[in-house]
Amino acid sequence: MNLLLAEDDAILADALTEQLRHAGFETEHAPNGAVAEFLLLKQSWDLCILDLGLPMVDGLTVLQRVRQRKPELPVLVLTALDDLQSRVAGLNAGADDYLTKPFDFPELEARLRALLRRSQSSPVANASMAMGSLVFERDSRRASIDGAPLELSPREWTLLDLLLTRRDRVVTKEEVAQAWSSERAEPGGNNSIEVYIHRVRRKLEGSGLSIRTVRGLGYLLEALRPA
Amino acid sequence: MKTPPSPLMLRLTRMVVGDQSLHKQLLLWLVLPQLVLWMAAAFVTYNVAARYANRAIDASLLQATRALARQVKPIGNGLFIDFPRAADDIIGGDPDDRVYYMVSTPPGQFILGSRTLPPPTLTGPPKLGEPYFYDGVVDKMPIRVAALYVAYGDSKTRQLMLVQIARGRARRDELARSILGDTVLPLSGLILLMTMIVWAGIRAGLAPLARMRALVEDRAPNDLAPLKIDAAPQELRSLARALNDLLAAVHESVAAQRRFVNDAAHQLRTPLAGLKSQTELALGENVDPARQPRLQRVHESAVRSAHLVNQLLSLARAEPESALAQHSARVDLRELAREVTAEWVPKALQSGIDLGLDDAGEAAPPVVVQGHPLLIREALQNLIDNAIRYAGASSEVTVCVRRDGNSGVMEVSDTGPGIPPDLHRAVFERFVRATHEGSGCGLGLAIVKSIAERHGGQVSLTGIAPHGLRVTIALPLAR
Repeated sequence: MNLLLAEDDAILADALTEQLRHAGFETEHAPNGAVAEFLLLKQSWDLCILDLGLPMVDGLTVLQRVRQRKPELPVLVLTALDDLQSRVAGLNAGADDYLTKPFDFPELEARLRALLRRSQSSPVANASMAMGSLVFERDSRRASIDGAPLELSPREWTLLDLLLTRRDRVVTKEEVAQAWSSERAEPGGNNSIEVYIHRVRRKLEGSGLSIRTVRGLGYLLEALRPA
Repeated sequence: MKTPPSPLMLRLTRMVVGDQSLHKQLLLWLVLPQLVLWMAAAFVTYNVAARYANRAIDASLLQATRALARQVKPIGNGLFIDFPRAADDIIGGDPDDRVYYMVSTPPGQFILGSRTLPPPTLTGPPKLGEPYFYDGVVDKMPIRVAALYVAYGDSKTRQLMLVQIARGRARRDELARSILGDTVLPLSGLILLMTMIVWAGIRAGLAPLARMRALVEDRAPNDLAPLKIDAAPQELRSLARALNDLLAAVHESVAAQRRFVNDAAHQLRTPLAGLKSQTELALGENVDPARQPRLQRVHESAVRSAHLVNQLLSLARAEPESALAQHSARVDLRELAREVTAEWVPKALQSGIDLGLDDAGEAAPPVVVQGHPLLIREALQNLIDNAIRYAGASSEVTVCVRRDGNSGVMEVSDTGPGIPPDLHRAVFERFVRATHEGSGCGLGLAIVKSIAERHGGQVSLTGIAPHGLRVTIALPLAR
């Protein structure tokens, strides 16, 4: 995955480039708007991190120009400006996500991966997911833990799919109910969610994954930390 | 125990000590000269009245004296007085008033009378038939005396006789007093009426001033909008204009200061992000174990500075002048709490904290307030952030939204160590922290308070038994 980082602060750019490389992104650095625009238009990129306060050509202008030629390129705006107007301006210019400095790298990485997942709409890329020792293959509707096949009812499948897509984030009961009704899984009430969570939890035993109950809100899928 | 002075007492004290009230000054200048004039008029009236009373009494005394003189008839060498008739005439005049008479032949030979009366002081030979009037004292009583020198006998044995009649001055004084009373009473009434009219006039005339004062007094200290000057009378307009100029200048300087804080904070963000990323990276590499703790500290410091900068910006945004003021909308606190809490769950889990929502369920009615969605969100985020920072690992943090009378209430409770009650007030101050544990900067609750107050709401802290803290934001419900 190749990524262009357009950031004028050399110290931040240096550290970020290194961190992104560690995280598995092939990272190029553009120190100003002109270089960023040139590189973005000349080469093919999977992702772009764009600072708004770039010298020579400012980030918003770069974004607008690039959008016309490459509407599909996922762009995450990384900026010191976090007021509402700047956010609206950034998103209007075609940013896919907006993160303010200073940031936590894990959050940046998570957002980049989410952008990638959204952009790589080809079913192949999205088809299989792995977390812990669980492998989840969407097109063949097959799941396995450590290679051992996992039997899931349609509702359990939908539930686990949702939890996996939103890993480390809260999935509310309403969202589960909605997913079920849109997939036309077997009908069932809201209270049965607990029952299904219980079942999926048992099926996930030994996978290194755990479904945490969040009081009053819903559920969250997390990888168990090695004890 | 000291009780605060009542407003009335304060006002009285101020009036006695003399404040620079325009009302008072005008009233003083309008009424005081009137009072002086009134006193002068009373004095003059009294004197005029006394003179007329004297004149009337003198006339009656003279009449009586002449009558008495006529009754004195010389018989040979002596004098005969038809006394009873004369005395009747004189004394029968007024039973209340003491009347004295004396007939003598000067110098000082008493012939008859009821009393020895002082003789008139003469500046030359006595004039016959000319009345003398003067004041004297008999038995320590002030009297008015009429005296008449009469000659009797033929031209050879011509002798002088002094006829005096005196009367107590009580009657005269009473007369003068009644004349004075009859004049002064209506005059006083007039003065009183005048004062009231003047007072009403002053009040009506100065009403715009009072309105302007109320306009300035009722203002929040940070409200620097110009005063409305259309309604003010001519004289006040220039004052209002001057005040508006001053307000505008203050507003500009405050705004400039805020812009500076805002710009400075923004400028700090990028280098801080760089510092943070560099230390993060360095910590991930294999470093000399001896240096590791140092590096860790640098990193923590960078994280903390980053937090401080973010909080400073939040505080600047919570100020009424910020551009967000225009974006007021209806906010469902229940929905907001659900969203924000869900967002914060991963962070809470990282800190080993069980963050949850105490929700009445989907069926419960929404709790809607009118306000700035981003600011209210910011307030709730600050409370959750605080709870996560200070409650300590394996605590429970619970967000709850409910309706309480006319308020929408958001509560964040934790099972942490809490804050000692004597610090409950101080922690709302900027940069005041209840503890030096944790990585906060002491702005969280100041931001929350600023946001709550801007929405006409309140923030309060409550301790929870056996340990823990509940922070409550109450905002007025939307109509």
